[in-house]
Amino acid sequence: MQILWDACLRRLEQELPAQQFNTWIRPLSPEGAAESDTLTLAAPNRFVLELVRERFATRIERLASEASGRDLGLRFVLARGADPGSRPAPSAARDSNEVPTVLERARLNRGFTFDSFVTGKANQLARAAAIQVAENPGISYNPLFIYGGVGLGKTHLLQAIGNHLAEQRAQARIRYIHAEQYVTDVVRAYQQRSFDDFKRYYHSLDLLLIDDIQFFSNKGRTQEEFFYAFNALVEAHKQIVITCDTYPKEITGMEERLISRFGWGLTVAIEPPELEMRVAIVLKKAEAESLTLSEEIAFFIAKHIRSNVRELEGALKKVLAYSRFTARELSLDLAKEALRDILNVANRQITVEGIQKTVAEYFKIRISDMHSKKRSRNVARPRQVAMALAKDLTQMSLPEIGEAFGNRDHTTVLHACRTIATLRKKDSVINRDYLVLEQVLKG
Amino acid sequence: MQQLPLAISPARAPTFGNFVEGANAEALLRVRELAEGRLRETVLYLWGEAGSGRSHLLRAASAATAPGRELVVADDVQALDEPAQIALFNAINLARESRGAVLAAGNAPPGQLPLREDLRSRLGWGLVYQLKALTDEDKARHLRAEAERRGLRLPDEVIRYLLSRLPRDLPSLNAALELLDRYSLSHQRHITLPLVRDALKADGR
Repeated sequence: MQILWDACLRRLEQELPAQQFNTWIRPLSPEGAAESDTLTLAAPNRFVLELVRERFATRIERLASEASGRDLGLRFVLARGADPGSRPAPSAARDSNEVPTVLERARLNRGFTFDSFVTGKANQLARAAAIQVAENPGISYNPLFIYGGVGLGKTHLLQAIGNHLAEQRAQARIRYIHAEQYVTDVVRAYQQRSFDDFKRYYHSLDLLLIDDIQFFSNKGRTQEEFFYAFNALVEAHKQIVITCDTYPKEITGMEERLISRFGWGLTVAIEPPELEMRVAIVLKKAEAESLTLSEEIAFFIAKHIRSNVRELEGALKKVLAYSRFTARELSLDLAKEALRDILNVANRQITVEGIQKTVAEYFKIRISDMHSKKRSRNVARPRQVAMALAKDLTQMSLPEIGEAFGNRDHTTVLHACRTIATLRKKDSVINRDYLVLEQVLKG
Repeated sequence: MQQLPLAISPARAPTFGNFVEGANAEALLRVRELAEGRLRETVLYLWGEAGSGRSHLLRAASAATAPGRELVVADDVQALDEPAQIALFNAINLARESRGAVLAAGNAPPGQLPLREDLRSRLGWGLVYQLKALTDEDKARHLRAEAERRGLRLPDEVIRYLLSRLPRDLPSLNAALELLDRYSLSHQRHITLPLVRDALKADGR
């Protein structure tokens, strides 16, 4: 297979730009016996694997078949010794016959660990408390109440507690549940008259992790059931950890006796991450994909995506997907291109009024000149530019555009568009004006 | 006597194949991968102006979903009421737990949707694509191809006429083409500028 692959390599090296060849093709290595009817290629990590499969598989398959003179299949695998972190979690590909593991019974995602949780000023207190509870469940703080805005890592921390305990004590009865799901379970138990089973199950846990408790708001029956479960668990020194989007006293539609119980243990906040921490988070997420991301790119993403960790993650995914799609290596320019529509959303609604205003300001004329019948060059030309921009940047019909410019005929709009298109080819000043305006309008 | 056309213009079910991709090739590829279970990401969110092809892609994805695969599709998420928002929120959580997938679309990027904060941030968690408007050249190409599929001859001057008179979003242009197709059938005339003028006038445009 090595000989066959070498033949393919020579062809690919000629066909592809050197940078693409060196980045994506050269790291691949053939595996398997020479007489096999499948060419197996091992990629150093999942990112390269997916990119090659997406962009080059068809070509490689054809080259291999040509070189070998027979129909060859193509298969990609991860190289042995490739970063295990980039392999899919075992639970993802589970066999339906298998007995559910501790983690499956607990509904835990094994990726959420303390190790993969990026710490900074914003969350170090919450993390310390979580570790304390995971080490000594039922003894230190009960309940542990973690609150903070959306997408800041509450679920991660909650599940990390479960994963930690599952690792320490294989027999521990752990359950992670989202509050909304708990509400559904209560309703079902009510309909099926199976409250005894429901109670027995929840009251027998060693660790109950309940996410987004604000979903209990105004759900009287659920609150009552949870009140009993809470009391039973705390009395038996079993640990409860709760997350919420707000401080206990601020939760609306929650029974007073529950709110006061939420404050029995320790209440800690998670704050939004500052810039350095956001950079660290981006780097960590990239590492989980077994990628080394330059600090420069991580900084760019972190600087522009400020809202929450989820959107940081989404932005990173977008950059990686774009790199795969274009088969270009990760770079700052690539990241900027990939995130252009995320970063430019502020001014995304382009209206004809917005265009008229922006163009009028740019050429220092009055907005009313956009509608006037004046035909002097210093007014008419900007008006034509604005009409051309309206045609390019909106979906309005030309008659509608004409109407917006002082009830002009659509042929006037058409004429303006043609004039500007011709001028842009001949006159670099007009062309630049046009491009600048377009950029301003697109944000 | 006017001849009434039978409804014989082939129904045009939205598929990946008849999506006019323009500058949206990457978004199209990702939606297709999601439907077929080849994307590692579980949540995909598309946004764009009305007529940008959101619903087309969503319906194509529903039809192309691999057997046994669970794909939750939510269109116009900006208009979801509170219970529907919770349902979508749950669907996203479930998808992330167990390999299902969610494909959602709306008229604004996640951060600007008038929705619950926890849902908004979840929509921004996966891959997000803006569906970019087609250029007039893309639209002309589409009209030409669509006319050919219907067995119509559509002169370039007619295409130019349509693009300079009508709203230039794809649904409007498709509706116009449908109208011309029927009008030319019922009057047994080829499509020419005079026929287009008559047809649009008869339709009150």
